[in-house]
Amino acid sequence: MNHSDDLRHIAECPSCRQRFSENVLPFDAERRRETAREFLATAFAMERERNSAADVVDRHLRDTPIEEWPGLAESQALRNNAALEQLSEEVRKRLERNPVQALAIANLAASIAESLPASAYPAIVLGQIRSTALRDRANALRYLGRLDEAYDSIATAEARLDAFPGAAHDRAIVWLVKAMILGQMDLFDDAEGMITAASDIFAEVNDSPRFLQAGLIHGNLLNNQKRYEDAQQVFRDLLSVAILGRDVEMQARLHNNLGYCATSLDDYGSANIHFSQAIARFTDLGFTGEVARTERGAGLVLIGKGQIDLGMARLSEARQTFAGLHMPEEAGLCALRLIEAMVERGQTDEARTLAASVVEEFTAAALDARAIDAVTRLHASLDADGATAEAVRTAHALVKSLTVDQAPAS
Amino acid sequence: MPVNVITAGTLDPGIADLAPIVPDCDAGELAFDRLYEDNLSLLVAIAMRKFQVPEVDAEGLAHEVFYSYLKRKDEIRNLHAWLIGAICHACRYFWRQNGRRTEQLDQGMAMLRPDPASAGILDRLPAQIAARDALEALPPRYKEILRLRYFEGYSIREIADSLGVTVKYTQKLVVKCLRRAEQTFNTAPARKKP
Repeated sequence: MNHSDDLRHIAECPSCRQRFSENVLPFDAERRRETAREFLATAFAMERERNSAADVVDRHLRDTPIEEWPGLAESQALRNNAALEQLSEEVRKRLERNPVQALAIANLAASIAESLPASAYPAIVLGQIRSTALRDRANALRYLGRLDEAYDSIATAEARLDAFPGAAHDRAIVWLVKAMILGQMDLFDDAEGMITAASDIFAEVNDSPRFLQAGLIHGNLLNNQKRYEDAQQVFRDLLSVAILGRDVEMQARLHNNLGYCATSLDDYGSANIHFSQAIARFTDLGFTGEVARTERGAGLVLIGKGQIDLGMARLSEARQTFAGLHMPEEAGLCALRLIEAMVERGQTDEARTLAASVVEEFTAAALDARAIDAVTRLHASLDADGATAEAVRTAHALVKSLTVDQAPAS
Repeated sequence: MPVNVITAGTLDPGIADLAPIVPDCDAGELAFDRLYEDNLSLLVAIAMRKFQVPEVDAEGLAHEVFYSYLKRKDEIRNLHAWLIGAICHACRYFWRQNGRRTEQLDQGMAMLRPDPASAGILDRLPAQIAARDALEALPPRYKEILRLRYFEGYSIREIADSLGVTVKYTQKLVVKCLRRAEQTFNTAPARKKP
């Protein structure tokens, strides 16, 4: 091994760390001892809080009606870092399925964090606590499409860290959420700048999961701008990183995304290979929902290639899996694509029956009234023999636009 | 796009999915003690030696990095890489902040305390202009060698390396260039000697 002062080498080599450190002697040893004592006192206090918090948040949320959650900000048991960490986890768990509840919890956390006294923790820890709560709030608002409020919240989260050079990792995560908000506001250049800056920090602190996540978001931003080849390149680069890091889940997701890019570029052969790779990996991991999503992608590709029967079989399978997983929107989207194929083939009776099922499923799941209305109107047109493939595509586009289609960032 | 790929592919791996990387950090008080003791000097050394941060500030930055670690410790996979990455970013951020805080030069004070480099400039100026004229009149190769040696501060060995010749020959070459410049300087028409 070649020993050197290169920082990557120093991170790996204990003897070089020792040698490099020995060249700097403390100017004020007593001050160092004092700061060490302060650090240890804070570390022990935070660990004690974590050990004693157990399931405090879960209990409070379970035992309190949702409309009374804001009042929990006064509860002493929740006014500490450990409880706020649990609240953050609760927000994350609810983002996809119940963003309204996620926002209610994020508001509670932000209200607690912002009102903690300055003496509760060292300034940087307090900054991190407040920034995390505001970032969660921004993320929940983003899910609900309240982008201006989301932007204000994330800007405040960023400002809470301004005074602390040592909070690099927290800052990068804030930038990632900010990039997603900017992306949704169609400010793509600003979003890309944020992602690049965040990726640099994730690489620097060796946070490969978030580095890959930032790359995925970047690829998706490019994809949303219809820059399919650029997106494909980003996903390919990430795939090599995921393979090196033996991150099977990430490999599966990247293959899935590459499948969609290839579809957009009309490269169906390559798309089919990527989807098969993704399905194989998701199956190994036992991720049933993801297998269904990928099946749907493969079905769409086969239909695109003119393999209608095979494609419809795949879509039906995906639809059944989604329904079994209680994911009515996804199941409905599969059904609408099947209806389109049926209309094109003149199978109006089958299309009508399927449309009626979708109306029932959407109604039972109390989905957005506009989605139910769109499918009901489609069903009525099929009844009157007036539905065209274009009408089905319009209904599909509307339902898709109403689904929550964004990813969380921790 | 048939479906939105954000939904299809960017589910957050999440903090809970990340295995703790520093197993002994959960071992209790001793682990924090050792973490701090073992790494403080390293972080201060990096801030001071790699980023020229003054010692007091370097210690402050290292201290912040340790506090920041307390909040993120369960998701750190490689402790030393994380600490080093964090202190490097902290140092760069420190200098960016420090640069912003630099106060503008007070014009009144500047008049009272002139730059020492400009003292006596009026006396030296004619000679400097003449030297520049002499340099301008030299062949390009001579001019380049003198520029490297006297304006850019290259050593004889560095110039030899860049020209691909020996050190001894470069020494002779520099002397030759100087003589040629002197001749040009002395024989230039219509110039008053200083």
